[in-house]
Amino acid sequence: MATDVKLPRLGQGMESGTIVKWLKAEGDVVEKGEPLFEVDTDKATQEVEAEASGVLLRIEIASGEVPVGQRIALIGAPGEELAISGAPEMTGETTLAPAPAARDTEFRAAINGAREENGGRVKASPLARRMARERGIELAGLTGTGPDGRIVAEDVERASASASVAPPSPIEPPPPAPTAAPPSPPAALPVDVEAIPLTNIRRTIARRLTEAWQVPAFQLTVSVDMTHANALLERSRDLNPALRITITDLLARVCGSGLQRHPEVNVQFSDESLLRFPSANVGIAVAAPQGLVVPVIRSVERLSLAEVAAQRLQLVERARTGTLQLADLEGGTFTISNLGMFGVEQFSAVLNPPQAAILAVGATTDRPVAVEHEVRVLPMMTVTLTVDHRAVDGAPAADFLRTVKTFLEDPALAL
Amino acid sequence: MPELSYREAVRDALATAMRADEDVFLMGEDIAEMGGSMGVTQGLYEEFGSERVRNTPISEMAIVGAGIGAAMQGMRPVVEIMYEDFLTLSLEQIVNQAAKHRYMSGGQIKVPLTIRTQGGAGWSPGAQHAQQLEAWLVHIPGLKVVYAASPADARGLLYSAIYDDNPVIFFEHRLLYPVKGDVPETLEPIPLGKARVVREGTDVTVIATGPLVHRALEAARVAGAEGISVEIVDPRTLQPLDTDTLVDSVKKTNRAVVAHEAVTRMGFGAEVAAVLQEKAFDWLDAPIERVGAKFAPLAFAPAMEQFVVPQPADVLAAIGKTLGRA
Repeated sequence: MATDVKLPRLGQGMESGTIVKWLKAEGDVVEKGEPLFEVDTDKATQEVEAEASGVLLRIEIASGEVPVGQRIALIGAPGEELAISGAPEMTGETTLAPAPAARDTEFRAAINGAREENGGRVKASPLARRMARERGIELAGLTGTGPDGRIVAEDVERASASASVAPPSPIEPPPPAPTAAPPSPPAALPVDVEAIPLTNIRRTIARRLTEAWQVPAFQLTVSVDMTHANALLERSRDLNPALRITITDLLARVCGSGLQRHPEVNVQFSDESLLRFPSANVGIAVAAPQGLVVPVIRSVERLSLAEVAAQRLQLVERARTGTLQLADLEGGTFTISNLGMFGVEQFSAVLNPPQAAILAVGATTDRPVAVEHEVRVLPMMTVTLTVDHRAVDGAPAADFLRTVKTFLEDPALAL
Repeated sequence: MPELSYREAVRDALATAMRADEDVFLMGEDIAEMGGSMGVTQGLYEEFGSERVRNTPISEMAIVGAGIGAAMQGMRPVVEIMYEDFLTLSLEQIVNQAAKHRYMSGGQIKVPLTIRTQGGAGWSPGAQHAQQLEAWLVHIPGLKVVYAASPADARGLLYSAIYDDNPVIFFEHRLLYPVKGDVPETLEPIPLGKARVVREGTDVTVIATGPLVHRALEAARVAGAEGISVEIVDPRTLQPLDTDTLVDSVKKTNRAVVAHEAVTRMGFGAEVAAVLQEKAFDWLDAPIERVGAKFAPLAFAPAMEQFVVPQPADVLAAIGKTLGRA
């Protein structure tokens, strides 16, 4: 009896994933636990391991977007043949077969296979076609769960839901669902313009930032004397030469302590309630080759500076190699975005929804500062806090930022 | 609310009209002293006498022809054809005369004739006494066709049929005669051409007639246990057809099953399916399923008869197919 390989749910809220490539070919021997295929979710590309040993009998979905739970391949005993049987027949006492998602007939697979050979004609119900038309969704990219593999209304609903997760944007239409085939470029592009198909990550960035843009937000900016912070970093580096402790690590740690002191900033706005989080899970914006990702360091307030650095190093490495797991990306309550290494002195970041605040960090530069009626040159850093005004008012946000400034100027206070 | 059997409901409609109106009278085989072969007219001969409850020779063409003549002269005759299988013998009168006079006379002649008949399988009457031939008649312009599934509908619709100025073929089903149901205290005419939503649901609409309304209700109960919400709509009047109610229901549920006891092929359900795809195409999420008798003469052997005629499980299977759960 062959075992189904189904697209697993790799994280909360994951409705579908895009199969990027298979690491095994049909006919290959597969061991349970071996990496079997790679799936691109809207947060990361991840390897999925085989859940059974045997022979990869058939890959049903070679690539493209697939809803969670959909069968994508079959693993069977060596030499096992695939039986293709018709749908069970209804007779006198029969009741109904289980719902399509839970169903498991060879029949559907055979039909799905036939669809691909069907000259590219997409089989969809009239209702599904109308809904897809109205919502600007490409039917070609959807997988039908209706009779004979037909795309039905539910499939379009699912696609449009996953294309516009959480609060659907009232202004922008939801982006079209990713299609299996690369979308063709708009007709009238000049020849020297390259149309790069959107990756899942690109789509997610676009969707989430569009969402964030509709949140009423405000910015607060302070400049911080980094004299003591720099001294601390220097000594910490000496103590932990392998870790390359950075200003970002210190910021994460300091913000963790600050959020503990100001829990009213460690919140998320939702329609029914304000969610207040007990610990500070600080996300670090990382420019990964495939695009911006924000891996999360959990409960930063409980970690030493060296521990923060060690975790940050690991996450950044995974981001650079595209091996972040969904768990690495979930559960953040606050984000730090540092562009200081590029010499940027000051900028404001766009919120990282559903979080209520993000800190934009500029470069530390020597600047003339008036101290007690004297002009002194000090290493100064300017940070800008962007805040979701629905969740946090100006005064508590300013109070939090003052704490961050105080901690940075006298890091011992953050302990 | 009083309860009447379907048989009593038909009888009550006849008696009520006859008491109110001298022009209403009955003709048919063995309907007088014997009270009809199905017992529908029992007691009417005693109440209204031999002039108004008239036995006829065994000639369906004569029965209908005489009815047409009386109707053209201003009476409101109700004639009974003992089995709808024998309607075939009177088709010349129905199709070429009753259905045509009003049109061909430019409206000068009306034919307010009601033709009651019964049929249906389920009690081993064999291939010549159990057919469902409504499709033959809904195809003829100039006729109205009614098929009631409940006592209340039978009473209210038959009364309206008697008072309609056009020839109306009124189908009854043998198995429904003993079925009881609530009816209004006093007879309330039900207008022809109005469907009835028998049961509300959200996932699939079963458009059923006659006994299939009851079998669909059974299927709906089983489906309900599986979390499927079935709406059942009975057109009641097959001609003219209340397409609005059918289309509205299908626009709501996005799926349709058409069910009747007559043979599926070329049946009334084919017309309903065609209407639905014309008027609700963009609301359909699955092909329309049809439930009906197999394309075979009805068997005498009960097991074979049951095999040929659609059962609740057939309706259930069709419901399942529309939801991808067959």
